[in-house]
Amino acid sequence: MSVEAHDMGGAAAAPPMNRMVVAVLAMGGFFVALYLFAHNLGLTGPIVCGVGDCATVQASQYAKIGPIPVSLIGLLGYVVLLLLSFVGLQPNHRGSKLIGGLLLFGSLGGSLFSAYLTYLEAFVIEAWCQYCVISAILITLIFLASIPEAMRLREGSS
Amino acid sequence: MSRSEERRKARENTGGSDMTKFYIILGVVAVVGVGAVAYSVGGAALGGAAMEPVEIEGLEDMVLLAEMAQGVTKGDPDAPITIVEFGDYACPGCGGFALSVKPQVELMLVETGQAKFVFYDFPLTGIHPTSFLASRSARCAQDQDKFWEYHDAVFRNQASWRLEQSPMAHFLNFAADVGLDVDTFEACVKSDRHAELVSANMRLGYELGVNGTPAIMVQGNNKPPFLVPDNSFAGIQAAIEQILGPAEAGGAN
Repeated sequence: MSVEAHDMGGAAAAPPMNRMVVAVLAMGGFFVALYLFAHNLGLTGPIVCGVGDCATVQASQYAKIGPIPVSLIGLLGYVVLLLLSFVGLQPNHRGSKLIGGLLLFGSLGGSLFSAYLTYLEAFVIEAWCQYCVISAILITLIFLASIPEAMRLREGSS
Repeated sequence: MSRSEERRKARENTGGSDMTKFYIILGVVAVVGVGAVAYSVGGAALGGAAMEPVEIEGLEDMVLLAEMAQGVTKGDPDAPITIVEFGDYACPGCGGFALSVKPQVELMLVETGQAKFVFYDFPLTGIHPTSFLASRSARCAQDQDKFWEYHDAVFRNQASWRLEQSPMAHFLNFAADVGLDVDTFEACVKSDRHAELVSANMRLGYELGVNGTPAIMVQGNNKPPFLVPDNSFAGIQAAIEQILGPAEAGGAN
C-alpha cells in the first residue's frame, strides 16, 4: 500500500492532481452558472447564444424549480465543489476521506441532475442552450476527475 | 544543507511548485470568468428595457388575441386586398424584403389603392437576441406617429446594429434622424412598454402558422389569409391573382 493511502491528514503528501482539475473545472462552471443566473436577474440583457435556443430554454417552466432558478442551484453547487477541492488541496486535508467522499458524491449528484436537465432540453423543451450544455460537460468532467477519490476511500477503508 | 535549500526541499515534498502552477491556472480562469460576466452585464446597459416576450394570460382565446395583437397599416384601410408581413427587424431576409420588395408593393399596390400593407412584429428572439427590443422601439416610434419612417431606417441600417449586443445607441440615432423626440423615445424603449403588444403579435403569428420571417400573407375577397410561398413581388402578385382571379388582378399589373 502506498504512503499516500496511509496519509489521511498528514502534511507531507503531494497535492492530489485530480482535486486541482476539479477546482479549475468548478471555477469555469461557476462562471457559466453565474452568467445564466445574472440573466435570470435581468442583468445581462439578451442572452448571447451562438447556436441553440437559450431564450426558449431559459423561458421554459423547467428553468426554475419552484421560485429557485436552476442556474442558482448550479452556481451554489459549483461553489461547494470549488471550496471542497480547494480545501482538499491544502497540506492538512490532502488525505481527507470526508472531502474525497463529498467531492465524489457531490459531483455524481450534479452529473445526474445535469443529465436530467439535458434530457429535458432534448426531448421536452426541444431546444438547446449551449451554456447549459457546457455546464453539463463540466460537471461530467468533474465527476470523472473525482473518481480517484473512490480509490482513495477504498484504500483507506481496507 | 543551507536553510534555503531546506525550504525548497520542503516545498517539493509538499508539492509547492505544483500548487503554484495550480494557483496560476485557477487565477487565469477566474480573471477570464470575471471579465466575461462583467462584459455581458456591463454591455447590456439597457436599463429596464424589456428584451423578451412576456407571458400573457388568456391568449388562447382568439377573440382576446385578436384584440391584443395589432399590426401597423399603410394605405387605404378599405382596400380590397390586405398584404400582411410578419417581420423581424434583425432578420436579413426581412431587411432584403423591406428594401427591395416592399417599395414595389407600396408603389404598385398600396398607393394605387388596390391593397393595404400591414406589418406585425415577429421577432425571432431565439436567434436574434435584440430583435424584440427593435420591435418595441418601432412601436415607441409609432407613439410619435413616425412608425414607418423609423421602421424603414431600422431595416435600411440593419447591418450596423443587428449583431451588436446593445444596439440602443443606434436606435437613438435612427430616432433622431427621423425626427422623434429622442428623450421620450429613449424612456419608452428602456421600459417594458409595448412588450405585451409585440408578444401578442408573435402569438398571433404562431397561431397563423408563421415559423420564419419574412412571412407574407395575402387576404381579400372574403377568403382566409394564406402564406405566400414566394416573397418576391411577382410571388405576391401571383397570390393576389389567386384571390381575385386573373381578370381582376390584371388591373394590379
